[in-house]
This record gives sequence, structure tokens and C-alpha cells, in this order.
Amino acid sequence: MSAMGAEAELQARADEIPAAAGIFKLTRIELRKMTDTRSGFWLPIATAAISLLVAILTLTLRHGNFGTYSHVFANSTQPLVFLLPIMGVLLVCSEWSQHTTLITFVLTPRRWRVIAAKALACVFVSIAALVFCLIVTFVLTPIISKAPGGTGSLPLAMVGQGWVALCTRMLIGFAFGTAILASSPAVVVYLLLPTVWAALLAAIPGLDPIARWISTDQTLEPLLQHTLSATEWVHFATTVGLWVLVPLLIGAWRIRESDL
Amino acid sequence: MEPPALIEINGLTKTYETRTVVKDVSFRCEPGTVTGFLGPNGAGKSTTLKMLCGLVRPSAGHAQVLGQPYASLANPGLRVGILIDAAAQHAGRRGAEALSIAAQTLRVPRTRVAEMLALVGLDDVAGRRRIGQYSLGMRQRLGIALALLGDPEVLVLDEPANGLDPEGIRWMRELLRGFAGRGGTVLLSSHLLNEVEAVADRLVVIASGEIVATGTSQELRGENVAGSAVKLADGAEQAELLCQELTRSGVVFRSSDDGGLLVEAPAAEVGRAALRAGVAISSLGPVSVGASLEQVFLELTGSSNGKEENR
Repeated sequence: MSAMGAEAELQARADEIPAAAGIFKLTRIELRKMTDTRSGFWLPIATAAISLLVAILTLTLRHGNFGTYSHVFANSTQPLVFLLPIMGVLLVCSEWSQHTTLITFVLTPRRWRVIAAKALACVFVSIAALVFCLIVTFVLTPIISKAPGGTGSLPLAMVGQGWVALCTRMLIGFAFGTAILASSPAVVVYLLLPTVWAALLAAIPGLDPIARWISTDQTLEPLLQHTLSATEWVHFATTVGLWVLVPLLIGAWRIRESDL
Repeated sequence: MEPPALIEINGLTKTYETRTVVKDVSFRCEPGTVTGFLGPNGAGKSTTLKMLCGLVRPSAGHAQVLGQPYASLANPGLRVGILIDAAAQHAGRRGAEALSIAAQTLRVPRTRVAEMLALVGLDDVAGRRRIGQYSLGMRQRLGIALALLGDPEVLVLDEPANGLDPEGIRWMRELLRGFAGRGGTVLLSSHLLNEVEAVADRLVVIASGEIVATGTSQELRGENVAGSAVKLADGAEQAELLCQELTRSGVVFRSSDDGGLLVEAPAAEVGRAALRAGVAISSLGPVSVGASLEQVFLELTGSSNGKEENR
């Protein structure tokens, strides 16, 4: 066989090969990988159960105006606000702790595609979380609510902001995981940073104006409380830039450069 | 003009900070052959293979599979089957599920999963078990199933025989021979000579990050083995005379463990040297073949146990 012939044959074989999985296919695979392990299976179930429990407790134990759709919705998102970031951390870090990066990046050598697929998976999980909260809210509230002023209504804007809050929280966890690439340190840093920041705020006078822009508890909490003003959206965007984009860029660069 | 090699490694070098773990490694693998990549633990085999499949960035040099860098192949898993570390699997995932995910990524039909599990001898029950419960041998089989999933033309396997029992090693040998027999190209690494010698057409021996020998096992024996083992009838004085004579004729030799000499020359030549030196020989013969390739390997790689531990 001549060299030309062999090369032509290789080319012919290459031409009939199906293209690599697209970004949405990869996202579906990432979603599957999140739930097909033992821990991956129980974490979302536990998260949902806690969220449900909190909603029920809010409705049965607290009196006054807590039985409105708005309050039940806001409360049902609280456990998710806490647990989705952890799922975000694990989405990246479990690949490193379990060494599955070897397989993942052998099958998809363009590593940024995997990172993008994981980020998209976060978005889909936050949508699923939102749907879950809505179902909990609209099924439970009419049944158990004891609110004297009636159950009120849930403005669409608040639903939208609720999703933004869930999605942002999960992406922050994901971004921290991407930058740190080890579950425990990433979770610890994620949980500790706001506390350290709060301590700094208390200790150093004059930090308040900055806090309005970058403190997650000041910029993200309002999403679940009231319709945001334009200024508040700007503050929110700054927070996202600092807590999502910066660590994500650091992480993406690290992953691209790293030897596995 | 030579036909294109399916795997072409050219001057690959990897330096971590100040430590060079792979130094100017070059070799090629031709279609229809099995190449054994042989070296002691820590010699740089895994790093070289990882550079080949884009997991580790070379500090210098480059590697190509099927005429391209691995990472630029369109859907590489369909063309090149890779097993880098069989233990690197999520312990909480089921075996069949791990294959299913890969099948989705490669866009091959789901039916391939059951086919590959059967091919590597993992039954349905094993497929449903979590990988954390697998023995190393089962993980190796799963890893080989994963590598074969995309029906590739090239296989790159890092220490695939690790953890396999003798029956498993024989099974893998036949699998790889069959794969090469159908025109496939195999590159497999090992730190155990006898694992590779039986299956490989060519050996590439690496030690401390550098290629120290390349060729068929016969070539390696021919090039490096002391041709004859000689023992002398009388004591050390006689041995000294023969050594002097051998040195004069420019023949390489060293003393063997049993008090004789290993000489890199045919028996007849040693006999003539003994005649010239006037010493009496009690035994003279070619070095036994099996043991000598082992010696070649140990000598080439300098992997006597003590040395390995001191590193």
C-alpha cells in the first residue's frame, strides 16, 4: 500500500465518523452524571425533601402573613439557596476527587466544552429547582395556609427573580468548585467567605458602600423579597461578575492548562 | 516513502519544575502491530501516554495519532481507544452506567454497552454493581470495554494487565492479538517484561524518562546480551588472565553471579581467548534465552530493587 493510499484510507475513515456530541448533548450527559452515582442520587432527593419540609413548617407553625403564596415560595427556595451551590461545587470537584477527568477529557479533549456543558447543567438544575418550588407553593398553600389576609398572589416578577437567585447561587458554587477543584476546600471557602466578609464589615468602618455592591447577602437576598430597582440590578450584576465570572475564568484557565 | 505511522511520537519531553520525567522520547507504531512500552514504575510511561492523548501538555516535542494531534480528532473516542488508569472511575457509579455515559458522548448505539460488557467477560450482575465494589481486575476489564466501545482503529492501554489473574492476562493477550490481526494498532505499557513479550511485535524500553532500546525481543537480545557464559576450572588468578586477554581483544564482559563471566561474544571466540590466555575452562555456552532478556531489561532500565527504592 502506498503512502498516498494509506492516507486516503485514513481520510475516508475519518469522513464517515459521526461528529462529536454537541454542547446540549454534553449538557444532558452532565445532568445524567450528576444523578447516576450513589451520592448524586440522594443529594437532590434530600434537598427536595428539606425544601418541602421547610414549606410545610412555614405554613403550619408560623402565623400572621406567612401563609401567602409569596412567603411560601420565598421560604421553599431557602434550603435550595443553601444546597444548590454545594451541588454546583460537586458537579466539578467530584470529577477531580474520583479521577474521572481522565475519561471525561479523553472523550472530549476540548475541555472548555465540558466546562460550558456543566455551567448549562447548573442552569437546568436551577430551572428544575424553581419548578419544584412552584409546585410546592401552589399545592401546599391552598391546603394548609392559615393566613388571615388570604393567600394573596405570586407576581411573575418574583418567580423570575426567584429563579435568578437560585441560578446565581448554584453558579457561584460551580465557579468556586471550578477555581478550587477540590470539594471540601471549595465548600468551606464558599461558606466561609461571606462570614469573613461580614466580620470585616463589622470591624472596618466605611466598607458599607462597597458591601452594597458585592455582598451576596445584600445583593442576592432582595431577589426573594421585592422587585428589584434598576440600581439594585446593577449591584446584582457586579456581584455576579465578582463571585461567578472571576472564579469561573480562573477555573477555566486552570482546567485548560492543567496536566491530569 | 514510508506509510504513515498510526502513532507517531516525536521528541516528547515533560519537565515539572526542575524534574524531567520524560526526555526526548520518540517512536512510531505501525498498523497491524502491537507495541510494548516497557519500563519500571516511575520511568515516564504514563506521562508519555498522557501526552499522546492530550491529558498532559508536552514541554517539548509532539505526538500524533492517525496523522493528527489526538485532541484535534473530530470524535477521538471512535478512532482511538484509551485506557489510562483503570482505577480512575467514580466508585459510586454502576459499571454499565459508566459505559452508557461514554456511549452517549461518543454517540454510539446503546446496544454497544451490553456487547462490550460481554466481550470483556463482565456479566449483567457485574454491570449493575457499583464500581467501588469491583476488584482491580474487573476495573481493568471495564476500562478495556470503555476503550473498545467506539470500535477504534488504535488502542492505547496503560498497564492493562495490572490486577488481572493469569487467565485474564491470557485473555487480554488473545484480544490484543486479534485486534492487531484485523489491522488495528496497539500500544500498551507494562512494567513486567513477560506480560508484554508474548504479545508485542516490538518493544520500546524506557528508563528514567529516556528510551533505552527499541526493537523486537530478538533484536534486543542480540544487541545487548552477553553471548556466552563461561566458567573457569581454577581460581581467581586464571580468571584474571582471561579478563586481561578479553580486554586486549576489546570484548565487553562482566562477572556473573555464580562466579563466572558473561561475555558479549560467541562461545568460539571466548574459547580462542582462553586458549591464548592459557586458562582451562570448566563450562562454556550461550546464555539461556529467557533469562537473558530479563537481564537485558533489568540492565537497560537499571531497575534493581535497591536502586528503585533509593530514587
